[in-house]
Amino acid sequence: MPPVSSAAHDGDDVRAAAAGDRRAFQRLYALHVGRVYGALHRLAGYDHARAEDLTQDAFIRAWQKLPGFRHESSFGTWLYRLAVNVALMDIRARGADPVRVVDDEHLPDSGETPFCAAERHELEQAIGRLPPRARAVLVLHDIEGWRHEDIGDELGMAVGTSKAQLHRARQLLRKTLGENA
Amino acid sequence: MNEFEWRRQMRELQQPHVPRRDLWPAIDAALDQAVADPPARATWRRMLAGAAVAASLLLVVGMAWHQWFTPTAPAESAGTTRQASWKPADPRLAGAAIELDAARLELQLAIEQAPDSAALQRLLRHTERQQAQLRQLADRAG
Repeated sequence: MPPVSSAAHDGDDVRAAAAGDRRAFQRLYALHVGRVYGALHRLAGYDHARAEDLTQDAFIRAWQKLPGFRHESSFGTWLYRLAVNVALMDIRARGADPVRVVDDEHLPDSGETPFCAAERHELEQAIGRLPPRARAVLVLHDIEGWRHEDIGDELGMAVGTSKAQLHRARQLLRKTLGENA
Repeated sequence: MNEFEWRRQMRELQQPHVPRRDLWPAIDAALDQAVADPPARATWRRMLAGAAVAASLLLVVGMAWHQWFTPTAPAESAGTTRQASWKPADPRLAGAAIELDAARLELQLAIEQAPDSAALQRLLRHTERQQAQLRQLADRAG
C-alpha cells in the first residue's frame, strides 16, 4: 500500500490535536484533505456529494480516534487507511452484495472507441458505473496499489474473491469503454 | 492495450483532489458533538480488569461446585493411588522407576494438602500412566 506523501513534519500537530487542539487538527485537515478526498472520490464512484460526506465522516472519526493513535505509522497513512475504511463501511452499509455483478445485458454494446489515455473523464465515468464492491476492488488494486490480501481483509472477502471481483471489474470497464478484452 | 499500459493509465488516476467546497466548517461544527474515543491502552486495561474479575468469579463458582457435588472424589483418588514402591530388575529402567515413584508420592502429599486441585489429580493420573507403561516395558524386556 503506498504511503501518503506528505506530513513529514506534522508530528507536533498530531500530538496537539490528540490533546484536543482544534487548530492543530485544522492544519492536519488542510494538509491531508486532498489525498483523503481523492481516494474517497474514486471509491464513491466520482460522486462529489458522496465523497464530501465521506470525507467529513473520515475526519470526524479521525478526531475521535486520534487519542489512540500510536505513531506506529505516519499520521497520513493512518488517516488514509481510516478514510478508506469509512468508505468501505459505507459500501457494506448500503448492502452491496459481495458477489453481485452487473448483467452484461445492462452494459452498452461494445463499440469501436479505443481505450486510451485521452479519455480520462470517460474512464472515471465508467468506473463510477461499476457495482460498488467491484469498483472498490478495482480502485484499491489498480489505482491505489493495494494488495489482494489487504483488500480481502478490509472488505471481508477471500483473496480469490478479490481477484475475481477485479477481473470482473476490468471486463466490465473495458466493455463499457468499448474495448473487447 | 497490454497489462502494463492498463496499470499505467489506472495509476494516473491516483491524484489528490480538492473538494469543490471547503469542508472544514462542517467538520469543525460536528467536532463539538463528537466525543473522542478513549485511548486504546485504557480500553485494554478495562478489558483486562473485566476478564480478571470474570475469571475470579468462575474460579470461585467452580470450587464451590466441586466442593458441594464431589466431596469424596479427591480423597478416593488419592487413596487408591497409594501403591507400594516397585523397582525393575533392569538397571536402565530402575532410575526412571525411582523418579516416577518419588513424583507420585510427592503428588499424593500435595493432594492431601489441596484435595480439590484438579490439576494435581491430572498430574497424578499422568504419573501413574507413565508407571504402568514402565512396567509394561520392564515385562517385555524380561
